[in-house]
Amino acid sequence: MGGALVLLGALLAAWPWLAPRYFVFLASLVLINAVVAIGLNQLSFGHAGFLAIGAYTAALLTIHAPALPVIVTLVLAGSLTAVVGLAFGVPCLRLSGLYLAMATLAFGFVIAETLLSLEPLTHGADGLRVPAARLGGVTLATDTGRYYLVAVVAALLTAAAVNLARTRTGRALLAIRESEIAAQASGVSVARYKTIAFGLSAFYTGVAGGLFAFVVGFLSPDAFDVFLSVDFVVMIIVGGLGSVPGSVAGAAVVTVLHDGLASFQSYRPLIFGVLLVVCMLFMPGGLTSAVRALARR
Amino acid sequence: MRAVARWLIVAVLLALSGPAFAQSGVTETEIVLGCSNSFSGPLAFTGEQATKFGVDLHFKVVNDGGGILGRKVRTIYYDDGYKPQEAVANTKKLVEQDRIFAVIAPQGTPPVVATMEYLEENKVPLLFPFQGSPVTRGRRWVFSGMTLYDRQARMMIDYLVGQRKLTTFGALYQDDEYGKAFLTAFEKDLARHSLKMMVAESVKRGVNDVSAQIAKLQAARPQVTFLVLTPPAGAQALKERQKIGWTDTIMVSSGPLTDERYLALAGDAAEGVEGLSLWPDPLTSDLPGVKAYREAMTRYFPKNEPNRYSLSGYVAAMLFTEGAKRAGKNLTREGLVTALEGLKGWDSGILPPLSIGVDHETQRQGFWVKVEKGHFKQLTDWLKSE
Repeated sequence: MGGALVLLGALLAAWPWLAPRYFVFLASLVLINAVVAIGLNQLSFGHAGFLAIGAYTAALLTIHAPALPVIVTLVLAGSLTAVVGLAFGVPCLRLSGLYLAMATLAFGFVIAETLLSLEPLTHGADGLRVPAARLGGVTLATDTGRYYLVAVVAALLTAAAVNLARTRTGRALLAIRESEIAAQASGVSVARYKTIAFGLSAFYTGVAGGLFAFVVGFLSPDAFDVFLSVDFVVMIIVGGLGSVPGSVAGAAVVTVLHDGLASFQSYRPLIFGVLLVVCMLFMPGGLTSAVRALARR
Repeated sequence: MRAVARWLIVAVLLALSGPAFAQSGVTETEIVLGCSNSFSGPLAFTGEQATKFGVDLHFKVVNDGGGILGRKVRTIYYDDGYKPQEAVANTKKLVEQDRIFAVIAPQGTPPVVATMEYLEENKVPLLFPFQGSPVTRGRRWVFSGMTLYDRQARMMIDYLVGQRKLTTFGALYQDDEYGKAFLTAFEKDLARHSLKMMVAESVKRGVNDVSAQIAKLQAARPQVTFLVLTPPAGAQALKERQKIGWTDTIMVSSGPLTDERYLALAGDAAEGVEGLSLWPDPLTSDLPGVKAYREAMTRYFPKNEPNRYSLSGYVAAMLFTEGAKRAGKNLTREGLVTALEGLKGWDSGILPPLSIGVDHETQRQGFWVKVEKGHFKQLTDWLKSE
């Protein structure tokens, strides 16, 4: 396990030297999506909204407070998104299943509409150019520079997610996922931990949004539509819900597939839909459990 | 923690080392061009016509005639669905993976603006985008496509005030870069004639219900009402006016709005509407260039109706061909830019003679049209925009 991690770390660090330039950019997108997928712990069709809050927060902070180091900007982007996530999540605690999914769907639309209306701040439909991120005296203006920023942040957040699973909170969340009633019966405060889960998920997505803003360099409300939210759901279903390696694998599959389909956007929902159905029918636990099953054989 | 710090240092050092050198997309036998455009989403029709039936149409003619100085032109397109972030990814892919020589005829202000900085940094020419916001002006590697909005506004005001002696104006505009670029320019040009915009009402992008705005405009009774909208909203404005029987104003459509689709959507409510047309009528014009365009269309894409979008892409490809020919056998990006800058009084047979200076503006003109029996009737010759 340790050896594999070192190898993975070395590959991540060496990637810009091994791969052509475009794949460095693509790898940044994979890692950003992986952060969202790791944070996505329930069925939500509104995570594009959270990503948008993080992205716009980071962009506006960089424009209006250029002296802030990028790490502070990202933490603030994540924190604001978490606050919005909690404000939205608490009233949604009473909802579950389909109704929760519908509430998240509505949330995504509300955020897109809000971004359009906050025109003096967001420039509405015209979009917003994001200046390069700064760390100390260094401006991260190249694909490689941005990639390393994304890689370091993604590694930290992934490590935090893996470690969280070993804490009291992590065990409580796991228990709730397996069975809410059983968890409650064993003394886990379901409402409290669900709220924490919402906040954490929003935080991860907000940080990813900040990274997205820097990597893409231009934001407009059109970017954060419901199809993006669906992409995130496809990632965790393809990868395997609640598994960190699965989330990363799912993010990689979906991002690379999306890129490969650049000439056929109109068929994208169809292809992703088929992928989703096939995964649910033949690989209900996602890539993670499929790999595990193969290893056992 | 120390390990993380070490990685950070490595990261920063690596980040400073800069990008790899980009190739130019020209071989002995081939020139590769491309763009990210809308093949899905609200502007899919325009995007597909401009590229696959416009740019490609002219390059088919060129390739079948032996190519540009012996080189065939190949084009690559990716779909961004009018989303800027997709346009960024697609354009990076075109430049870094497909190694195109130049970007030709992308569409829409947000996607084009999103990629502009990147293309400038990498010294890749961005040729003739299908958008008119003046934000593309004054850039080393960007050549504008359609007549820029502030020039259009100047022509419209100068014609209406100077020749038609009209004095009161109102505007219904889309609340984004497109609408505001026009509105700002209208106000500036009216001020030049010591006049003012009486009333201006805005419409959010994607909203087609304009009844409240039309009622407010009618109350102000301007002689001229400008429409700076998309075809669906523009058509809705005309229908609304017909419904409330508001006849004592001249409705005038902006250049991008004056197209066949807007006419078709509005039906008989479009009768009498005036506007600025940026292209000669692709279906009926007798200009030699337009005839050649129609003949090529019948030959290569017999099932595709001629329209101004494919015509605009066709002109973009013509301009590239002319520039690349002048740049000579040793085709470089710098050479192409210099060659295009040197174009003086070049006749496409479609537009009035083009001169591109260091300001990189290609199209600068338009002419006045009025809708009669469902067709645009030309009222003036090409108007001046200086």
